[in-house]
Amino acid sequence: MRHKKTTEDRVLDAIISVILFIVVFVTLYPFYYILLITLNAGTDTAIGGMYLWPRQFTLGNYLYFLEDPKWISAFGISMLRTIAGTALGVLFTAIVAYGLAKRDLIFRKSYFLIVVVAMNFSGGLIAFYIVLKSLGLINTFGVYVIPGMLNLFFLLIAITFFTEIPEELGESARIDGASEVRIFTKIILPVSMPLLATMSLFIGSGQWNAWLDSAYFVQDERLRTLTYRMMQVINQTMVPSGEAQSAAMSRSSVTPFSIQATAMIVSIVPILGVYPFLQKYFVSGMMLGSVKG
Amino acid sequence: MFSYIPMFGIIIAFKNYKISTGIDGIFTSSWAGVTHFKELINDYNFPMLVRNTLVLSLLKIVFSYPIPILFAILLSEVRHVFLKRFVQTVSYLPHFISWVVVTGISYAFFSSGFGIFNDLLISLHLIKEPLNILTDPNSFWGLAVSTAIWKEAGWWTIIFLAALAGIDPSLYEAAEMDGASRLRRIYHITLPGLKGASIVVLILTIGSMLGGGLVGSNFEQSMLLGNALNSEKSQIIQTYAFTIGLAQGRFSFATAIDLMQSVISVFLIFTSNAIAKRVSGTGLF
Repeated sequence: MRHKKTTEDRVLDAIISVILFIVVFVTLYPFYYILLITLNAGTDTAIGGMYLWPRQFTLGNYLYFLEDPKWISAFGISMLRTIAGTALGVLFTAIVAYGLAKRDLIFRKSYFLIVVVAMNFSGGLIAFYIVLKSLGLINTFGVYVIPGMLNLFFLLIAITFFTEIPEELGESARIDGASEVRIFTKIILPVSMPLLATMSLFIGSGQWNAWLDSAYFVQDERLRTLTYRMMQVINQTMVPSGEAQSAAMSRSSVTPFSIQATAMIVSIVPILGVYPFLQKYFVSGMMLGSVKG
Repeated sequence: MFSYIPMFGIIIAFKNYKISTGIDGIFTSSWAGVTHFKELINDYNFPMLVRNTLVLSLLKIVFSYPIPILFAILLSEVRHVFLKRFVQTVSYLPHFISWVVVTGISYAFFSSGFGIFNDLLISLHLIKEPLNILTDPNSFWGLAVSTAIWKEAGWWTIIFLAALAGIDPSLYEAAEMDGASRLRRIYHITLPGLKGASIVVLILTIGSMLGGGLVGSNFEQSMLLGNALNSEKSQIIQTYAFTIGLAQGRFSFATAIDLMQSVISVFLIFTSNAIAKRVSGTGLF
């Protein structure tokens, strides 16, 4: 296909480049702008007119953030729920999927039906809330982790994945006297790394980004997550009732808005941190899902 | 378990339920028949809720469904491998960011007080007064749809790009030999190659339409971007059920609302699947 370019080629290439540039700019600039706010004195940002680089460079926003026990504890809770939720969710879903992937399992069809119906039909948030309440999960850390332990979407994907693993693999180990648990942990899991990585990324980012459960299923202030705190601050800054807030923070150049931006950056950074490592897996993981629907 | 036990909870839509009675209360409380459904339909908010839910969902389908397809075609025309990968990686980054953060970003840009968007327009003398994008009911739909596209369009492009990767390159070479121009090649080879994936995605979109379709969450958007000032356009069935249920404790009424939405969604999935099957011979199930 390497040949001389026609005029049409050149025009098309130019148009494509322009569009792609716009797409990249529109996607990245908001992140950059938020970063800019966090590195600029909040009182100065409020004047407006800052687009490309910080006018009054400061780390004050981050220092303020780090000094506030409320934010630190929220960050900790978010981290904890993400780690615990992801580990438990991935493991539990994988175990159930492994069982359901066995062709000789009795009632296999019925189990599938149960899963598919549950995926498409729900009792609604209120009924969900009542169940959580009767199980005593409301206002505990468990409410973050336990309901999400079995991820139905990934259950179906994992079943497809496991059925494609040749049965001989487990068979030979069984003849050598390996137990089921051993086969699962030593043979099945290692060959399923792409699946596990995809699941971890999705369940993990879901956990990290969740705010609804923290807002409505928990009342204990110590259990609030980072995303919930952010939502709180955003709701405050949205309605411009300036005086009370600026008075409270008058001791520094920090404003509620600059703190909000700082929290946003803090919540984006961990995602950016794991993103490059898992990226090569999730494209294929996404396709697994799309084939199954 | 957390999907199925709530399903028994559907019963409370037909009963007079009080939270203090716990799970047992679901079965012991008195029957209310269809009272709660009647109440919902007679609710003065009801027409508004239905309108908002439907309009928002339809707008999202109309505007967000073609974009990943167009973007995939565009990317497939990029010869430079590194550039292609870079643009793609950037484009699906927002998918992993929380709606809360997206909302925060919208505030930073569109707020009438400190938003950079108004700032820029004013300094360019395009407008005199800042636009109240966040609080003006009339701009909510546009705001919701555009932030949704910003967040999710790049992500759905993955599926279409994968479909494009499955097209036999020799088709392009043959077409080129025959003197087909690039636009013609896109039209005759790329577009037909996307047909299967487009249909599957369209079914998924319509099935999940009330939830927001591909670009996700009507509920989260209405909860986060919605506020007292724009509620006449931002309040949807789900958020209404949620606030009514949890804030006012009217559990039976709220469940009736949830149930209605669930039934409509299931209906939509089956209809769109059936139509797709008839039209193109492919369906999900």
